[in-house]
Amino acid sequence: MHLEKIDDYRWLIPKSYKAGMRTDAMIYANERLLEAIRQDQSLEQAANVAMLPGIVGRALAMPDIHQGYGFPIGGVAAVDEHDGVVSPGGVGFDINCGVRLLSSTLTLKEVRPKLRELVHQLFRDIPSGTGQSSRVTLSDADLNRVLETGPRWAIEHGMGSEADLDHTEERGCIPGADPYAVSERAKQRGRAQLGTLGSGNHFLEVQYVEEIFDQKTAAQHNLDKDRIVVLIHTGSRGLGHQVCTDYVSQLDQAMRKYDLHVPDRQLACAPIRSPEGQRYLQAMAAAANFAWTNRQCIADAARGAFQRIFGEGVNLPAIYDVAHNIAKREVHMVDGKQKRVVVHRKGATRAFPNQAVFIPGSMGTASYFLTGQEGAMRETFGSACHGAGRVMSRSAAKKGVTAKEIQKELESRGIIVESLTREGLTEEKPEAYKDIESVVDVVHNAGLAARVARLRPIGVIKG
Amino acid sequence: MAPWFELLEHTSDVGILARGANREEALIAASHALASILVDPAAFRPVEERYFRAPGSDEAAQIVNWLNEILFFFDTEGIVFVEFAIDSWTSHEITGRAKGERFDAERHELRTGVKAATYHQFENHAIPGGWELRIFVDV
Repeated sequence: MHLEKIDDYRWLIPKSYKAGMRTDAMIYANERLLEAIRQDQSLEQAANVAMLPGIVGRALAMPDIHQGYGFPIGGVAAVDEHDGVVSPGGVGFDINCGVRLLSSTLTLKEVRPKLRELVHQLFRDIPSGTGQSSRVTLSDADLNRVLETGPRWAIEHGMGSEADLDHTEERGCIPGADPYAVSERAKQRGRAQLGTLGSGNHFLEVQYVEEIFDQKTAAQHNLDKDRIVVLIHTGSRGLGHQVCTDYVSQLDQAMRKYDLHVPDRQLACAPIRSPEGQRYLQAMAAAANFAWTNRQCIADAARGAFQRIFGEGVNLPAIYDVAHNIAKREVHMVDGKQKRVVVHRKGATRAFPNQAVFIPGSMGTASYFLTGQEGAMRETFGSACHGAGRVMSRSAAKKGVTAKEIQKELESRGIIVESLTREGLTEEKPEAYKDIESVVDVVHNAGLAARVARLRPIGVIKG
Repeated sequence: MAPWFELLEHTSDVGILARGANREEALIAASHALASILVDPAAFRPVEERYFRAPGSDEAAQIVNWLNEILFFFDTEGIVFVEFAIDSWTSHEITGRAKGERFDAERHELRTGVKAATYHQFENHAIPGGWELRIFVDV
């Protein structure tokens, strides 16, 4: 595929690339990342996204883009709320997969001597949920309230405080969520999974602030060098997966009714204003609220684990919690006019000016704290990247390395890891991902989000 | 053609390529493949039975829904299936049964959680001497 180079960080797939594209697709990457991006189908998928009915502006791909199903992971598309479509595949199966960063009253020096004990306590207190039960039990009424109100339910049950809501995107609750748009099957899948991490690339990391790039912003969040922080990466678990499954199937049917055609069935969609589109958005909002509650419960368990090891006086205040698999109703400037749009972010983080953005690196490598910039509002519907982005398939990652070897290697670098499964370590080894430094460099230099701090892991728990 | 499967490379997800003498055998081979992504199936016994119902407007939707039944029972009851039987496959749905055992951390080993079966790069067609099915799952 020939890409038009705009500058060192921007590459264009013109809408003339293939029939059916309604707009150009813009790829944010440097030459090195682009080389990796070209290895899979993700650029083709970005071009497919440009075919979505009602798309406004450009189809966008972040520097961590890699091949997904339908949408690429790291893809952003805004569609007109009046005549556009919503696509569950543009959000993904893990609705409101996202990250929450907690600060702490502890420093690296205080935590290091008891690190092994701490990681073990966290591993005991936070189930992965795969083959393990949740510590949170939900009645039917409780589950409906979680879906409707999000983490407020957890706070009412003693897990966290109002301050947590102040530091969560949408205060953890997308309005219009309807528990009755969520199938019984989805509720059954999610019921025993609230407060669980899941497997794959989900994790909880104990990190310290290694370097600060923006003292003023870091200070606003009480972050200083060597401060211990906790990064939680997980989503809506089986409930969200089933919501996506249910609505891909329903919208696949509805496409015939509305005479819609997409290049990949996994991009099944329906007009936003149609009953099917509205129902999906109500169910997606409920699943998103479940995910925010999930991270709230995990944050509460992490606070408990820290207090058991370091005493009751230890506090882990929330810095921010942000989704990176979601569709949001927002107002953006398009061609000089304000327009109501639904922004699909699949593996992309909302990055409004001055809003905290967290970019987790691969296991054992640095993560970044950034803040959204004006450039994101002008170019990417207020979005930035969400992680390092895979370059290696899971089977390739597993070849020639054992879980024990990875654990030992990380330990030699001062990182204690506990994982429920061997695959949690081998499939997620650092080499399976792109270089986080390059990814962050691109969003920083393209003016989408600015570096605030680099965070280095010292403890990891995984499913 | 004896039932057979292999797992395919994909940057973020996992693909299944399954073959059998006919579409039923190919789907059963794909079912075994999916179980092998979740766990090491060797240690599971066929001691509990569940009924599967996989409706759909076409074969692709029915196959996706059948495989999603495996994920549903794993998430809700912790059951891993090691035997599959298709009772009927009409233009509207597949019905069948599966036997397996609940996951027990003392005896069983987990591998990778699977979110869903997808339509991405889906293929389902006759090949010389049998049937081939390709499906990607989101992990």
